[in-house]
Amino acid sequence: MDELYLDNIDEFVNDHDKIVTYKWLSLTLGVHVNTAKQMLYHYLDHKRKESSAQLHATYLVSGKFEDNGQTGHKVSVVKEDQLEDFKSKMSLVVSVHVYSVQKALLKDSGPLYSVDYDAVKDNLKNCTKFSAIRCASAVPMSSLELQQARQIHQVPAPEPEHKKPAMNGEANASKPSTKPQKGIMGMFASKAAPKNQDNVKDIKTEQKEDTPVAEAPKSKPAAKANPMMNFFGTQTAKKPDKTEKKEEAAQSSSSAEVQRQSSQPEEKREAPAVQPPKDTKKEARSKSKRVVDSDSEEEKMEKKKRRRIKKPEPDSSDEDVIPDSPQQMKTRELSPSPEKEVEPVSHSPSQGNSQKTRKRRRVLKARTFVDDEGCIVTEKCYESESYSETEDDVQATKQASKDPVPAKRPASHKPDEKKSQKKTSANANKGSKQASIMGFFQKK
Amino acid sequence: MELQPSILREISDEHNLLPQPARAKYISETDELILEDELQRIKLEGKIDRDKCVTGSVIAIYGAERNDGKFTVEDFCMADLPPQTPRPVLSSDRFVLLASGLGLGSSHADSMLGLQLLIDMVTGQLGDQGEQSGAANISRVLLAGNLLSQSTQDKDASTKPKYLTKKTQAGSVEAIRLLDELLLQLVASLPVDVMPGQYDPTNYTLPQQPLHRCMFPLSSVYPTLQLASNPHIANIDGVRFLGTSGQNVLDIQKYSSMESHLEILEETLRLRHLAPTAPDTLGCFPFYQKDPFILEECPHVYFSGNATTFESKLVKGPDGQEVLLVTIPEFSSTQTACLVNLRTLECEPVSFSAFSANDDEESEMNISH
Repeated sequence: MDELYLDNIDEFVNDHDKIVTYKWLSLTLGVHVNTAKQMLYHYLDHKRKESSAQLHATYLVSGKFEDNGQTGHKVSVVKEDQLEDFKSKMSLVVSVHVYSVQKALLKDSGPLYSVDYDAVKDNLKNCTKFSAIRCASAVPMSSLELQQARQIHQVPAPEPEHKKPAMNGEANASKPSTKPQKGIMGMFASKAAPKNQDNVKDIKTEQKEDTPVAEAPKSKPAAKANPMMNFFGTQTAKKPDKTEKKEEAAQSSSSAEVQRQSSQPEEKREAPAVQPPKDTKKEARSKSKRVVDSDSEEEKMEKKKRRRIKKPEPDSSDEDVIPDSPQQMKTRELSPSPEKEVEPVSHSPSQGNSQKTRKRRRVLKARTFVDDEGCIVTEKCYESESYSETEDDVQATKQASKDPVPAKRPASHKPDEKKSQKKTSANANKGSKQASIMGFFQKK
Repeated sequence: MELQPSILREISDEHNLLPQPARAKYISETDELILEDELQRIKLEGKIDRDKCVTGSVIAIYGAERNDGKFTVEDFCMADLPPQTPRPVLSSDRFVLLASGLGLGSSHADSMLGLQLLIDMVTGQLGDQGEQSGAANISRVLLAGNLLSQSTQDKDASTKPKYLTKKTQAGSVEAIRLLDELLLQLVASLPVDVMPGQYDPTNYTLPQQPLHRCMFPLSSVYPTLQLASNPHIANIDGVRFLGTSGQNVLDIQKYSSMESHLEILEETLRLRHLAPTAPDTLGCFPFYQKDPFILEECPHVYFSGNATTFESKLVKGPDGQEVLLVTIPEFSSTQTACLVNLRTLECEPVSFSAFSANDDEESEMNISH
């Protein structure tokens, strides 16, 4: 064992032509820093006696020196030939040890820094594991403590908590899977559509696999979540970020799922119309088939929804979206409060396994009002309204084709939900392309 | 003061379209010293050094008014040191490391090895056992501002059109990531207080808010990381530390004839006000009921960051107060930090150095003589 390290260092220095600093050695071999320094010293000694290879070393000298009557402490990395010179300049030499060993003569101390930087970067979590000083209080806080610490600073904390049980059952077919890309590419909305579709397909194929793969998509939204942080930008966004980080550390699908769900409610609260990207994870559970055609429609709907929230964002995103935007702006001014109505044509997210939840979605509605001149005007506009899954389901089945689809409650089998989902999405498809013929029979 | 930049003068002066050049000193011969209170103002003359006074100082003068309306000063005094609670007697040596001006993200990364040596020394990896046991007595690290270098303040971002800069990342992003990694190494070993400075991503006006924890995902997990405001008060083992990242001292240096940061620091202590020039020439929040920069209680260690050199002095007050004044040098240029001994209230500079190719040439030149 004792001789092994000599060979190791030999290999590093001669064969790999590396600069072996004591820190790099300690992190690579997993030894205490003082042991690493001794190893380097012995190695150097050994090789010098053998006088085989041409080795150069740098030393670390630290000591006291006088400067205008003020004693100061000086720590320097010096080359071997300057060692004695430095030592003589100091009034008191506190410590000298080998800093690094390398084959080539170093002109500049820059490479020493980069070697150490790389070594530390690879071992960020335990960079002080092999140091000589321990700190009892320097223990990373658990996610619970972090949340507590953050809640002390934050005020609007309690809302996410009580929404949790309601939100648990959300799942979404294609909508949420497109969200992550949309959050980032909201600026480039026109280009987003084809890209989103591809991504959607990718995510779908991923999600169809089992839980072992749940880790892979998990890291994806984590990466996407970070750009999304800028998008949301408020304090609650930190929670999903932190929980995402914890997920990566935990690396177990079950715990990850739990944390993912907890992160969802915060997102939900922020942008109720925009479905949180974390919903993608639900796909592990819902194996419903996605209809590719419906994606494009739903994407457009999503864009519309997002537009409402992203009003202060640059105009480019607005212009790229659907042409009846000016109309929408006008109607928004006229009708400040969205009406809550049950509407048959739903082209918003259809749920897979969701429970009875109330959500907001955009719906094409006709509004009748009296304008300035005293004329009665009917306008079609998109309004957001809240609805619950049950109503949607019932409506969907009403509009179903001749197939006798039993009106099942959402908590039932997946195949049935799949069917109803298909139908709603099919209807959504029709609804957004042109005014449905059923619009004539709409409830006012 | 005639040379003080004034927006009104710029607007009213139609002929002078050139902006005033940035100067190091804004004092001139034609400056006047005026004392004012809620009711009136009066010009001062006499035994008072006009160039050493700054706007915002509260003083008491003794003298007489002459016929031409000017007041001749025979003597003046300032509020002097505030009362101080005596500091506790410590049994063993405990140190606090003060550093500032790390200057991360700059184009020339000469100081990075020095910074790494600093971190290694503090975390106990550098040096042999004796030094490491000495380093174990360092109970806190205080970083006093300018963690990022000035070059990360990208002026282009505001002048260039958005479509050219959309894809480019701000310079401070990479620098903050680097800072986070550095802090991670430090906080795993001892408590760290981080104060923002002039070039750090926080607000411009004093008091600067602490850097946000979302910028430090790796290190904010540790409870030992304290993100502090600027100015900052810390109570370390019963010893009160008070200090800023140096903006107040720099501002006074520009608008008075005083050059030494230490002298200015002592002046502000005697004036009992951290930043007398705020809000006149130093940006600060418009407080109107209470001025938070007035020193109510005297600290034991009073520091300011980002000075050109290291200086320290022990000041004794009329009521037995003892204050250690420290000007923390800029690490990116001087590779020096300060070590304060809490038991004896002494300060020592700690400097780091590495070798470079230039050193060889210099020594050769010496030999040739």
